[in-house]
Amino acid sequence: MIRNYFVIALRNIRRYKGHAGINILGLAVALAACTIIFLVLQHEFSYDQYHKHANRTYQLVRKDVYPDGDNFDIGMPFPTIRALRNDFPKIKFAEIFTSYGSQVTVMQNAETISNKKFIEGPGIIFAEPELFDMLDVKWLAGNATALNSPGLAAISRSQANKYFGDWKAAMGRYLKLDNNILIQVAAVMEDVPVNSDFPFQIVPSYKTFLANKDVFSYTASLDNWGGSSSNHQVYALLPEGSDAEGFNSRMPAFLEKYYPDKKNQPGKLYFFLNPLKNIHFDTRFGHNGDHVSSKTSLMTLALIGLLIILMACINFVNLSTALAVKRSKEVGIRKVMGGKKSQLRLQVYLETFVIVCFAALLGLGLAWFGLPYLKYIADIQQPLQLLNSGSITFILAVILATTVISGFYPALVMSRFQPVEAIKNKINTTAVGGISLRRVLVVLQFAFSQLLIVATIIAVSQMNFIRDADLGMDKEAVLLVNGNADSSFLSRQPNFEARLRQVAGIRQLSFALDAPSSDNSWTTNMAFDNDATDKDFHASIKMGDDHYAETFGLQLLAGSFYPPRDSTPEFVINETMARKLGYNNPKDIVGKTIRLGGGKWLPVVGVVKDFKNKSLRDEIRPTVITNNPKFQTTACIKISAANLGKTNRDIEAIWESVYPEYAYSSTWLDESIQNFYRQEERLSRLYKVYAGLAIFISCLGLYGLVSFMAVQKTKEVGIRKVLGASISSILYLFSREFTILVVVAFVIAAPVAWFLMNNWLSNFVFKISIGAGVFVLSIAASLLIAWITVGYKAIRAALANPVKSLRSE
Amino acid sequence: MITLEHISKWVTTAGLRTFLLKDINLTIKEGEFVSIMGPSGSGKSTLLNVIGMLDDADEGKYDFMGNQVHSMKEKQRSQLYKQYIGFVFQAYHLIDELTVYENIETPLLYQDTKSTERKAMVGDMLDRFQMVGKKDLFPTQLSGGQQQLVGIARALISSPKLILADEPTGNLNSRQGEEIMELFKKLNEEDGVTIIQVTHSEKNAAYGNRIIHLLDGRIEHPR
Ligand SMILES: Nc1ncnc2c1ncn2[C@@H]1O[C@H](COP(=O)(O)OP(=O)(O)O)[C@@H](O)[C@H]1O
Ligand SMILES: [Mg+2]
Repeated sequence: MIRNYFVIALRNIRRYKGHAGINILGLAVALAACTIIFLVLQHEFSYDQYHKHANRTYQLVRKDVYPDGDNFDIGMPFPTIRALRNDFPKIKFAEIFTSYGSQVTVMQNAETISNKKFIEGPGIIFAEPELFDMLDVKWLAGNATALNSPGLAAISRSQANKYFGDWKAAMGRYLKLDNNILIQVAAVMEDVPVNSDFPFQIVPSYKTFLANKDVFSYTASLDNWGGSSSNHQVYALLPEGSDAEGFNSRMPAFLEKYYPDKKNQPGKLYFFLNPLKNIHFDTRFGHNGDHVSSKTSLMTLALIGLLIILMACINFVNLSTALAVKRSKEVGIRKVMGGKKSQLRLQVYLETFVIVCFAALLGLGLAWFGLPYLKYIADIQQPLQLLNSGSITFILAVILATTVISGFYPALVMSRFQPVEAIKNKINTTAVGGISLRRVLVVLQFAFSQLLIVATIIAVSQMNFIRDADLGMDKEAVLLVNGNADSSFLSRQPNFEARLRQVAGIRQLSFALDAPSSDNSWTTNMAFDNDATDKDFHASIKMGDDHYAETFGLQLLAGSFYPPRDSTPEFVINETMARKLGYNNPKDIVGKTIRLGGGKWLPVVGVVKDFKNKSLRDEIRPTVITNNPKFQTTACIKISAANLGKTNRDIEAIWESVYPEYAYSSTWLDESIQNFYRQEERLSRLYKVYAGLAIFISCLGLYGLVSFMAVQKTKEVGIRKVLGASISSILYLFSREFTILVVVAFVIAAPVAWFLMNNWLSNFVFKISIGAGVFVLSIAASLLIAWITVGYKAIRAALANPVKSLRSE
Repeated sequence: MITLEHISKWVTTAGLRTFLLKDINLTIKEGEFVSIMGPSGSGKSTLLNVIGMLDDADEGKYDFMGNQVHSMKEKQRSQLYKQYIGFVFQAYHLIDELTVYENIETPLLYQDTKSTERKAMVGDMLDRFQMVGKKDLFPTQLSGGQQQLVGIARALISSPKLILADEPTGNLNSRQGEEIMELFKKLNEEDGVTIIQVTHSEKNAAYGNRIIHLLDGRIEHPR
C-alpha cells in the first residue's frame, strides 16, 4: 500500500510539474537556508563545551561601577592569584598572560637566529600548567608539566610544522618572542578545535612571562593591585559539588582584605566567576577567540530560519489546496472505492513527504554550494562540515516537521471532500478553505519579507553612514606600521624616522601609540586644576609626537598643539574633556593643569575638536593627548595617492634595513576602522541574503496564489470579456487584490520593523534616524515585485479565449 | 436485502424546500436485477447514491442487510459499502494516474488485503476480462468500452453482493453496451450478484427482472 502511494506520488509530481516545481524550489531554498543557519548555530553553541570539566571551569572577571555606567573586564590585577590561592585552597586556579601580535623568530640554536620570522596574531598565551587541568588538549609530545619551568613552552602541531617543517622535529628547538624572550619547545599539542576561544599556538610557561615582564612594559613590580590588563586573566576550577555563587559571595570581603588604596579608584569594584561555557556568548567581555556571539543574535538567526521554512510551508499549503480542486475527482473515486479518511490523509502526507524529500536533496545541494560563502555573512572563517550527525538529525527532523506542517491542511481538506460532489467535479475553491485563508497566509509572507526589506535598508544605510561619517580626523591613506616597545627597537627609531622623511610619497609622519580612532583603550584616573581629589570619570589617553595632529588632521579649537618633546610634556585635550571639566569655551581651559594617574601636574596647551575615539557604537570619551615616546612605537604614515604601491614598498625596504630582525607588519587605518564594524557588516549582508530569500519564496507563493485565482476566476473573466471588458480592466481585477494584500502586510510589518531596527540602532551612539523614506522604498519595492509576479498569470488569464473557458464549465 | 421506508431528500434554497427524493418506499431482494428509469433530473442518481451510502437521505429509514444505515456514522457506513457494494459509473471514474492494474487493485488496498492475495485476485480479474495485455496501460490509452470494463472489474474485485451502476452504457456505443449488459446478466444469474442499474434504454432495462420508474423524485407505480 505504502509502495503504491509512493508510485502515485511520483506520477502526480510528474503530472503536476509546475506545481511540484514551485513547491520543491521554494522548499529547497528554505531548507538550504535553514541548514546553513543550523550549522552556524551548531558551531556557535559548541564553543568550549567539549572540555571534560567545562561545567566546573570559570573565568574570574571584574565589574567596575562608575557613575556613568558599568565597565566589565576580564583583566585581573597581577597579585590576585596569590591571594586567591591563599584564601581558597580547595579551588584550583590558573593565570595566563596573552600576547597579541608578537613576533616569533625561529632560532637555529639557543644563540643564533634564523631569517624565519613571523608576526603572530592571537594564540601566544603564557600559562600556568593548571590551565590544562581545566581545558582539554591532546598532547602529541610532552605534556603540561613542561609549563612548570621558565623558558619552556608548548606549541601546537601546525605552528610546529610551520616553524620547524615537522612537529616531530620540534621538541627541544628554540624560538625567540619579540626578539627578546628565548623559549624552548618542551611539548607539542594537537591543534585546538575551531570551536574554542583558546586558540593556543605557542604556550610558554607563565614563569617565562614573569621573567620577561619588562618586554611587555611592566617595569614595576607586579604586586600592584591598581592596574590590570585584559591580557592577564585568571581561571578557576571549582571542586565537584560547589557552585560559583558561594565563591562570588565571598568576593566583597576578599577585595576588602586585599585591595589597598580604594580612594584612588573612581569606581566600585566587583569580582565574580563567569562560566567557561558562557564566555563565547557574553558580550560584556572580550575573550581570546576571534568573535563573541550574542545569544540574541543567534536566536534572531534561528527565528529567521524558522520563518523562512514556514514561508515555504505556506506556499506548499497554498499551492496544494489549490491543486486539491483539480484532484478532487480522484479523491472522490478513492472514497467510493472504500478509502477511509485516514488512508486519504496518509496519501497526502506521503505525497508531501516525497516532495519534501526531493526539496531536501536539492536543498542540500544548494547548501553545499552556499556554505563556502558563509564567511561573508557569519563570523565563521573555518569551513563547516555540511553533514555531521547533528545536521543529519536536524535535516531529517525538518523533513518530518515540514511534511506534517505542509501536509496537514491539504490532507484535512481533501479527506473531507463529499465523495458524490467530488466525483461530479463540484468541488470548487470555496470548498478548500476559500481564498481568505490564502490571503492571510500571503499577507504573513509579505509582512515578513517587508520586515527584512526594511531591516536591510536600515542596516545598509547605517553601514554607509558609518563609512562616510565624520570621525573628526582624516583616516584616508594612512598606513600604520607596528613597532615594538623594547629599547633596542626604540633606539633605532630616530634613524627610521629620518629615512622615512626622505621618501617622496610620504606627506605626513607621526610616531604614536595608536591612531585617534582605535580599538585600544587606555584610560586612567585624573585630577584637574590642582584639586587633589580625582574626578569621577576616567581620562582616555592618546599618545603621539608633535606631528600627531597634522598626520590625522585633528582640528585645533583653542591654544596650540604641543611642540617637539622637551623635558616637560604638555597635554592637548578634546572638546568633551573641556566640557566635562566645566569649560564650554575651550579657550578658557588653556593653561589649566591636569594630573593623570598619580603623575605630575601638567598644563593643557590646546583643545582639539572631538574625534571618535573608538567605533561609532561608543560615546566620545574625555581624552588627553600627550607625547610619551617610549610608548609611541607605531609609525603613522600619511601617503600621497600617487605611487601608493611604490611608497609602500619603499617603507618596507627601509624597515628591513633598519630593523632586519623585526618582522614587518602594517595595516591601513581605514581598513582597521572598517574592521570595528565587521560584525555589523556581516549582519547587513546576512539581512540582504535572507531578505532576498524571503522575497523569492513569497513571490513563489504569490505566483501560486495567482494561479489559484486564475483557475477560480476563469469563468468570471470569460463572462466579463464576452461582455466587453478590456484586458487592462481584467489586469486591474487581479492586481487590485494583491496590491491590497501587500499594503496590509506593510501595515503589519512597518511598526515591527521600526521597533526592531530602532533597537539595533541603539547599539550605536552615532546613527541614522529612521525616516519615512525607508518605508516608502520598502512598500514600493514589494509592490513592484508583486506586480511583476502577478503580471504574467494575469495577462495570460486576460488573454485567454473566453468561449473556451466558458464551454469547459 | 434493501428496504427504504419513506426516504426523502431535499435541498433548501432561499427557504424553499426542493425535493430530490420524496417518500420513497422500496424493497429489493438479494439476487434481483433492478433497472431504474426516468427522465433526466428525476432523481435516479440521487436514489442510487443514497442506496450506495455515498449520500444521506434527510428523512426515512434505510435497512441494508439488517443494518440501520440511517442511524450509522460515516465511518461505519463506509465500512459497510466497502464490503458489500461495487460502483459502476457512466463516466467510468477511473483514476487517471493509475494503470489498469492499479485501478482494479485500489479497493483491495483499502480493505487491507494481503499483497500476495491481492496479486492473485487482480490477476484473476484481468484474465476474466481478457485484459492481461493491457494491465500496464493508463485509462486514457483505452477506448470507452475498455475503460468501462476496467470500471466493472474494479467494482467486482472485492466480490460485492450488490452492484450499483449509474448509466453504465451511457457513453458507449450499442455493441459495447450490449457486451456490458450481457456481463451484468451473467453476474446476476451465475454469481447471484444483486444489480441495480440506472438506464435510459428500454432495451437495457429489459436485461433486468424489474423496472422502477422515477418522476420528480417519486416512484411511479403503474396504474
Ligand atoms: N446537491 C444538490 N443541490 C441541489 N440540487 C441537486 C443536488 N443534487 C442534485 N440536484 C438536483 O436534483 C435533481 C435530481 O438529480 P439527479 O439525481 O442527478 O437526476 P438524474 O440522475 O435522474 O438525472 C436534478 O434536478 C439536480 O439538478
Ligand atoms: Mg443521473
